[in-house]
Amino acid sequence: MHSDVVISVKNLTKTYRIFSHPGDRIKQALTLGRVHFHQEFTALKDVSFEIKKGETVGIIGRNGAGKSTLLQLICGILKATNGTVQANGRIVALLELGAGFNPEFTGRENVYFQGALMGFTKAQMDERFDGIADFAEIGEFMEQPVRTYSSGMFVRLAFSTAMHLTPEILVVDEALAVGDAGFQKKCFDRIDAVRERGGVVLLVSHSMEQIAHHCDRAILLEGGTVAFAGKPTEAIHRYMALFNGPRDQECAIGNVQDFSTDDKLMNRPSYNPAETRWGDRKSTILDACLVQNGIEDPPFLILGVRTELKFWSICHVDSEKLVFGLAIKSRTGAMVLATNSRFLLGPGEPLKQMAGTKLCTSFFFTPFFEPGDYLVSIGVTSEMGTGLLAHDRRYDAIILNLRAPQPNDENSNASLSCRVDVIQAPAAIGR
Amino acid sequence: MLACLQNIPHAMRASGLNPSRIVSDIWRHRYLIGQLIKRDVLLRYRGAMFGVFWIFLSPLLMLAIFAFIFGQVFQTRWPAQNNGPPFWLLLYSGLITFNIFAETVSRAPASVRGYPSYVKKIIFPVHILPVVPLGVALVHGAFNFLILVAALAWVGGLHSHLVLFPLLLLPVLLLALGLSWFVAAWGVFIKDMTQILPVFVQMLMFLSPVFYPISAVPAALRPIYHYNPLGIVIEASRAVVIGQAIDWSAWAMALGFCLVVSVLGYAFFQHSREEFADAL
Repeated sequence: MHSDVVISVKNLTKTYRIFSHPGDRIKQALTLGRVHFHQEFTALKDVSFEIKKGETVGIIGRNGAGKSTLLQLICGILKATNGTVQANGRIVALLELGAGFNPEFTGRENVYFQGALMGFTKAQMDERFDGIADFAEIGEFMEQPVRTYSSGMFVRLAFSTAMHLTPEILVVDEALAVGDAGFQKKCFDRIDAVRERGGVVLLVSHSMEQIAHHCDRAILLEGGTVAFAGKPTEAIHRYMALFNGPRDQECAIGNVQDFSTDDKLMNRPSYNPAETRWGDRKSTILDACLVQNGIEDPPFLILGVRTELKFWSICHVDSEKLVFGLAIKSRTGAMVLATNSRFLLGPGEPLKQMAGTKLCTSFFFTPFFEPGDYLVSIGVTSEMGTGLLAHDRRYDAIILNLRAPQPNDENSNASLSCRVDVIQAPAAIGR
Repeated sequence: MLACLQNIPHAMRASGLNPSRIVSDIWRHRYLIGQLIKRDVLLRYRGAMFGVFWIFLSPLLMLAIFAFIFGQVFQTRWPAQNNGPPFWLLLYSGLITFNIFAETVSRAPASVRGYPSYVKKIIFPVHILPVVPLGVALVHGAFNFLILVAALAWVGGLHSHLVLFPLLLLPVLLLALGLSWFVAAWGVFIKDMTQILPVFVQMLMFLSPVFYPISAVPAALRPIYHYNPLGIVIEASRAVVIGQAIDWSAWAMALGFCLVVSVLGYAFFQHSREEFADAL
């Protein structure tokens, strides 16, 4: 094991024994385990990974994918059925909001108790107390019983306390869902500080924005196994895909086309080489570009000017019910526009295509976003029940650079959507 | 690597049957145990009008009732005793010892079961949880003892031997602790333990020489009492109150037995704790 590996998980398996009746456990113990009265449920299967110093790792997956079990195993709360977990350093875990807090005691008493749990003496907690109180922003409520707190105050105090216990490994399980945006930002500043000190942060979140923005790496769990581990953006895309269509959509069938054949998009100036791309390749996207004021691939787009996103696709097999999708998100992962042809065209004749034919799809929109860089994702899918079966999804394939309109810009109607009036107030109502 | 391992909970393996390991383990968490005991005691009286004074008030009331019933109504006397402290004080001294044991053991089944979040949601040294009821019982015991000393001084029976009283309790503390570890672990898996234990403790009270000396028991049954560590300690602690000689060999035997129980209880607890999170 290298010295910079902080958490090492090897072939980790966790099987729960489910007893339908509490007495069954006793019966099994009395037979010294020779007769089985339980059913087994495997929450994690053969999971392995390493986390190095200074990494923030996101763990994502659907409900029941084994995220919480994995965290509990890393914290040593659960015992592994098979495999090993090694964690070097002080672990501070926020697995459940305010677990270990006693509602009858005041905030101050609970803070000292949390410190005692982590092995801090009263003197050490005295040093930290003011910092904790400042960070939590709960003011005089610090001397009130915790049961009188709002859930926001509760999470602020719990998080603040945890952050001041100088964790070397910080484990956060969706505890940050509560709390306003301002407090969340403060928390993430502290999380980033932990990472800069060389600590490790493990973050379970259903907020993909948080994962995309703060994690160096992400692990996607599905059905108790690691479905993907690597770049957060790709992990997120695969995670999103789990909700669309059948589970095994990724397996390629028939005569697999190499994605790179005839791909003109890669040579476009707006192309993002960091795109992630997957699908069953029954249909592939060949080329795409943004058009504004009749110019293909302008160096930047102007805010508030009608824009066209064109893309060309080819079908390799006869296809019915095709759906073309477009999504634009900010660099931090916030979605600003997401739509598809099924939604825009409404119910009607489904889009059909013969094998070997090409289609050109155009989306028209007017960007009214904050100037800056955006990432455009496009995709070809077909309807499959209520979901979508991905043929070729190209996430973050195009970089869109948006700038504010200048007075001499053509066709800019930014002023149509926003207006400001500044007028002299009559002295009578002025204060 | 190895040094790091020792710091983390995963590496806290069952320490086997080494008493010094148990002592150092508890000592390491003394501050946390202290906090848990403090919380438990404060929580019981929080919100009450007399607050923490009840620690003092309730045994005082109980003693007053004893003094009235056994001193005035029944005029009971301890067999084969003509002078020294009155019956109700001797009864009280036996009850101090027994109550420490009783309170600890009857609360033990819920000591882990009652805190599922400590087991499942936070990193916590679960094996110290059964120590907490003992600590709380000792706090109450200490106040009871102070009242006993005061009452003895009042009736004029104060003895220098009385300083031995706390020391004599050692076997009972070990016994209570060992049983607590057993019962706390069982309590996680078997909810019925919380119902069974109070009945068991009540039965044990009548089988222990709290209300009568061993000498009053028919000779045929006496061996049972001679090997009951609880009885030995109650007799010994009563002896210091009266000022009689203590049967040290019996006491030493009780100490040895209780030590074994506590070590086994600890080992059993550590062995079964791996299943706690799954069972709760």
